[in-house]
Amino acid sequence: MLRHLLRTVNLFDTAKSVLFLCFLAACHRQTGGADQARGLVYYETYDPRSLDPALSTDVPTGEMVTLLFDGLTRFDPDGGLLPGLSDRWTTDRKGQRYVFHLRPGVSFHDGRPLVAGDVERSLVRVLNPATHGGRVWPLLPIAGAGDFADGRARDVRGIEVIGDTAIAFTLTEPLAIFPKFLAMPVASVVPSSVTPDFGQRPVGTGPWRFVAWEHDDYLRFARNPNYWGGAPLSESLTVRIIPEALTRAAEFLSGRISVVEVPFGETKKWEQEHPDWLKRKPALRPIYVPLNNRRGPLRDARVRQAINHAVNVPEILRTVWNGRGALAAGSIPPTLGGSDRARRRYSYDTTEARRLLRAAGYPNGFSLQLWRSGTNVEMGRVAQAIQSQLAVLGIQVEIVSRDASSMREAVRKGDTDMAITDWWADYPDADNFLYPLFHSASVGPGGNYAFYSDRVTDSLIMVARRTVDQSAREALYARIDQRVFDAAPWLYLWFAVDLWAEHPSVDGWDISVIFNGQRWTKVRVTAGR
Amino acid sequence: MLQLVASRLLATIPTLFGVLVVAFLLLNVVPGDPVAEMVGERADSATIARLRAELHLDEPVPVQFGHYLWGVVRGDLGRSYITQRPVLGDLAERFPKTLQLAGAAMLLAVTCGITLGVLAAIRPGGWIDRFSMLIAYVGVSFPVYWVGLLLILLFAVALRWLPPSGYGGIAFLVLPALTLGTRSIAFLARMTRGAMLDILPSDFVRTARAKGLGERRVIGRHALRNALLPIITVLGLDVGNYLTGSILTETIFSWPGVGRYVLLAIQKRDLPAVQGSILFLSVIFVLVNLLADVLYAKADPRVAYD
Repeated sequence: MLRHLLRTVNLFDTAKSVLFLCFLAACHRQTGGADQARGLVYYETYDPRSLDPALSTDVPTGEMVTLLFDGLTRFDPDGGLLPGLSDRWTTDRKGQRYVFHLRPGVSFHDGRPLVAGDVERSLVRVLNPATHGGRVWPLLPIAGAGDFADGRARDVRGIEVIGDTAIAFTLTEPLAIFPKFLAMPVASVVPSSVTPDFGQRPVGTGPWRFVAWEHDDYLRFARNPNYWGGAPLSESLTVRIIPEALTRAAEFLSGRISVVEVPFGETKKWEQEHPDWLKRKPALRPIYVPLNNRRGPLRDARVRQAINHAVNVPEILRTVWNGRGALAAGSIPPTLGGSDRARRRYSYDTTEARRLLRAAGYPNGFSLQLWRSGTNVEMGRVAQAIQSQLAVLGIQVEIVSRDASSMREAVRKGDTDMAITDWWADYPDADNFLYPLFHSASVGPGGNYAFYSDRVTDSLIMVARRTVDQSAREALYARIDQRVFDAAPWLYLWFAVDLWAEHPSVDGWDISVIFNGQRWTKVRVTAGR
Repeated sequence: MLQLVASRLLATIPTLFGVLVVAFLLLNVVPGDPVAEMVGERADSATIARLRAELHLDEPVPVQFGHYLWGVVRGDLGRSYITQRPVLGDLAERFPKTLQLAGAAMLLAVTCGITLGVLAAIRPGGWIDRFSMLIAYVGVSFPVYWVGLLLILLFAVALRWLPPSGYGGIAFLVLPALTLGTRSIAFLARMTRGAMLDILPSDFVRTARAKGLGERRVIGRHALRNALLPIITVLGLDVGNYLTGSILTETIFSWPGVGRYVLLAIQKRDLPAVQGSILFLSVIFVLVNLLADVLYAKADPRVAYD
């Protein structure tokens, strides 16, 4: 009967040919742009903005810029500050004037030699309003930079080129961490004259040369054999754009990307099945809930402390977050100078929480909103856990789920009581966890989402910034962190611990604690892939 | 026919204008700030204010709309706030890839869906009917997202026949096309079955059989041709589903098409990119439905447009 039917309908022939095509396709594998016979393959979750350092305001762009360009200084994967295009620098006693000497013999990918004028023009270009870059703050400490960026001055008076081999910066006030600012992608050095499509066809001094960029698909780089820091061990580096976490895991499992961040849901499975693949490292990234210090009952420090005592953070970390974190007793990550590892965190103690609420005049609790980003499923689960634990104290929490952009706007305007979020380090220094997060000049868009404002904290942060002596500076940071911690402007959760899997054929790769600490120069593929 | 096409094309202008107005207003109403997305997680308010002024975001909405409309009339969809590249160029780069995916999915849907539907209708209640309708139910009920991940797990991770994701040769096309086409296969199968069951008892089918035509000719040329009319309409309307369905499918399969472009643009509140994409996709939708109407006339001589 089937044969009869088959003959009846000629469309079946077409169906057969489609099936045949599928079969052909299955045989005809491993072609196309996304494939790469050998060489390293990394990924980004979305297409970079551009490859122009002046536009690097997000992680994908910053990571790609790091491959192609160098700054005067740079970070290593553990967050240490290393010399970059400048092999040595000096500072005056006050820490207000810096002279950077250029490393001799460095040239751009197109063969042009690097001179100090390139450095000046690169930084001026970032500050120039016509560049529309959006990230000028790392350069604003330079005297006259603000005036230039606002169009009130013709040049930046704090930059002085000394011959071809040195450049000096005079700052508006002493800033001990200024060399770290210069390691950020936005301060990368580009050639003096750039083409209008520079963001698409970049030329830098970095370890990798630009080869191709298919938007939303992949970027391809080739090793720079003349790299001053030693040519990369691998011939090529492909960076694919793969938005979906489970797809990335599938790509890794089928051997088509070199490393992958382990998807949250897969943590236990991979830990059991492939412990030899996994690498972990404490990240410079607190996960926390800013408690808006200017809203309702949250204005009272006792209420904020009560919230910290009421939530069983270790349990949430272990169960909901799969243990991928280190409990936080402060805002400075434990691997950074200035963090006080002996400090005791707020204990899980509902009796103490109740006592504090009573003392603050809220024996029966109150209602709050907790905002979360709809795209971040894991943080959503943490929000639910917090909600149920606060309910025990009579604090009714309503979870508001919005897309990341809407949530960010509300948080920055101060329209949220609480919001679950994280903070990615721009530069590995305790200052990056105090000035943006707790200085009153940073409230809202600057990063201070708790709207915490304390004059003593402000002035201590500024004193620390001006302190040149490293150990004195770190002691100040520990003091500030303690002061803030006591006021409990956040619900302190944990610092993320990054968990990545490295393909067995890949050798020499290491997790970087800072997004621009990864250059892939010492990584190679050993076995045939 | 030419007149029809010309008048229909004229009629699309107010439609597209409406689309533009609605898209523009909606984007101005939703919370989220494009400048905040441009500057990243940490910014000073002076920079934010300067960028707002440079992008004319501090002007009244009607003025902003005027600026935008004037650009569109001149064929300029503006530049992305985020990447600073022209939106039209970005779309032109990605649309062929979306078209390729949608085309493959549609081909799959049409061949498999209509075949299943016809086979089911020939013996209603028979095992083929029951089997194909089961497939149809399953296909309609399973979410695209889930189907896509399952296909990746099976064909890419377990069997290693096909690459999990990415853009390239035919091998890269199979899984996303299957994912995008599944719903349509199911839908078309049910649709075709219904239409065929209406047609098969008709007088002209009996006449065709009576004059001694083979079953293959009766079904294929006489019955199916008549049943095709509603199917063409559905297919035309379904193009919208292919374009929106591509957002999910392209994301799961890392396919560098328009769907992902729109998604990222929405997430980043990249207004010119979102508006440009909506306008672009609306134009495609309108054109495809015009094509469906023309095909309708071709398939059914009784339909005449004056």
